[in-house]
Amino acid sequence: MGFNLTVNGDRLSSAAEPATPLVDVLREEMHLTGAKPVCREGFCGACMVLVDGEPTPSCLLPAALADGREIQTVEGLAPLGQLNRIQAALEVSDAVQCGMCFPGMVVSLTHLLTTRPDATSDDIRAALTGNICRCTGYERIVEATLLALATA
Amino acid sequence: MMSGTPIQNIPVAARVTPASIYVAPSLAAARDALSEYGAAGAPLAGGTWIMRSPIRHEPLKTHYVAIGRIAELSAIRISGNAVEIGAAVTHAALAAALADLPEFAGLVAAAGRSANPAIRAMATIGGNLSTSDFAAADCVPALLCLDADVEIADRNGRERISLAHFLEVRSKLAAGRIVTRIIVPRAECRTAHIRLPLRRSGDYPVAIVSLSVSVDAANRVRVARIAVGSVEPSARRWPPLEDALLGRPLDAAEAARIAAELTGEFIGRDSVDAPAWYRVSVLPGLVRRAVIAARGS
Ligand SMILES: Cc1cc2nc3c(=O)[nH]c(=O)nc-3n(C[C@H](O)[C@@H](O)[C@H](O)COP(=O)(O)OP(=O)(O)OC[C@H]3O[C@@H](n4cnc5c(N)ncnc54)[C@H](O)[C@@H]3O)c2cc1C
Ligand code: FES
Ligand code: FES
Repeated sequence: MGFNLTVNGDRLSSAAEPATPLVDVLREEMHLTGAKPVCREGFCGACMVLVDGEPTPSCLLPAALADGREIQTVEGLAPLGQLNRIQAALEVSDAVQCGMCFPGMVVSLTHLLTTRPDATSDDIRAALTGNICRCTGYERIVEATLLALATA
Repeated sequence: MMSGTPIQNIPVAARVTPASIYVAPSLAAARDALSEYGAAGAPLAGGTWIMRSPIRHEPLKTHYVAIGRIAELSAIRISGNAVEIGAAVTHAALAAALADLPEFAGLVAAAGRSANPAIRAMATIGGNLSTSDFAAADCVPALLCLDADVEIADRNGRERISLAHFLEVRSKLAAGRIVTRIIVPRAECRTAHIRLPLRRSGDYPVAIVSLSVSVDAANRVRVARIAVGSVEPSARRWPPLEDALLGRPLDAAEAARIAAELTGEFIGRDSVDAPAWYRVSVLPGLVRRAVIAARGS
């Protein structure tokens, strides 16, 4: 049985098995490889996408429950090649190291910027509890987010 | 949990066993589907436990009934004498709904600080109570010390049992049965929920102490309910400590001292993230922190 979903504004259909994790549908059928299946457990956040606007680890969402929903992946957050506010701030702050965690970071932080314009550094850290970075120590990511919030 | 679980990227074909997922539009439809599927079916709520079955090397069921879109199961009703929580209410929704009710500070901490924000927006309270293999479930001890009841339904009707009883029978629930509501009586009490994760947040807790206490005018303990989670395979109350605190002033250091004398009754569970003895040894410290938090609540 197939299902339909909207990905970055495009209406798409998939014939994946119902319990297939959304991350595999995105990567293997739709060739959107920004979301990364790293832990497949909901701990690391590398597979984070927006589902109906909410940050969701796509490794834990079965394809059947993505039916009819609006998905935004990191590829959809910089339309026309223009970096969004958090992407630009991360670049200016030289926050990226290996880059493995960043698609997920950008998704979570894009959501934070739109929903919590008054976020403090503690709020930013709390929002990133489910985004693990093994390289940076987080400090520059938090600084970049504060910079993005200040340049709203 | 993160530490100790090797990163796995199993090929898709091996991961996805064919499973049907029926998105139930109503409770009646869910009950009918579950009873038809029998032992081959199960509810799928937030999916945060079920979707990790391949990592635990557990097979998926053949059929799932998705219950997250059933309005009746997603409602929270707050009245003067009880709070009724639909089984498909998420941790995030529960923490937000009870945030202004001080007597539920412990449950709000349990629902609002477990896992991480994206998981809290998916994982449900019914899933948390129903997962019998999950020792570190936060809402179980928090609800045990609030004397919660669980309502279970099947095609033939509904039944209400205590949470403590539910924990004993949950792994043997007859096929087709589903948790529909959790009913929590309201009482004048102070509550707290203290969890010890290995990192400051995001991890499973090594041990949990939940506390509900009421005191008389002279600050002496009238009622105490204390539950311990994550130390043994299932959370449970700590009656000897509850009894020992009755009639005494509510004092954190004293409670911790008594707790240290009574930890012998717990047999900790060993796992890669923490040895059994460690889980037990941190309990007095968590009791101390729980009393401090309850006094401040
Ligand atoms: C990274 C991560 C970290 C986490 N950390 C914590 C933590 O620290 N503390 C914590 O408490 N939780 C934590 N969780 C959540 C954990 O997965 C479960 O506790 C979760 O609450 C299960 O809820 P669910 O709705 O996702 O259940 P599901 O995965 O949908 O189901 C789990 C089980 O419950 C059954 N079930 C579900 N709903 C019902 C119902 N209404 N009636 C009968 N049976 C039902 C299912 O059939 C299945 O057997 C974490 C999850 C992740 C992914
Ligand atoms: S791969 Fe989904 S959270 Fe890690
Ligand atoms: S930059 Fe390498 S994991 Fe974050």
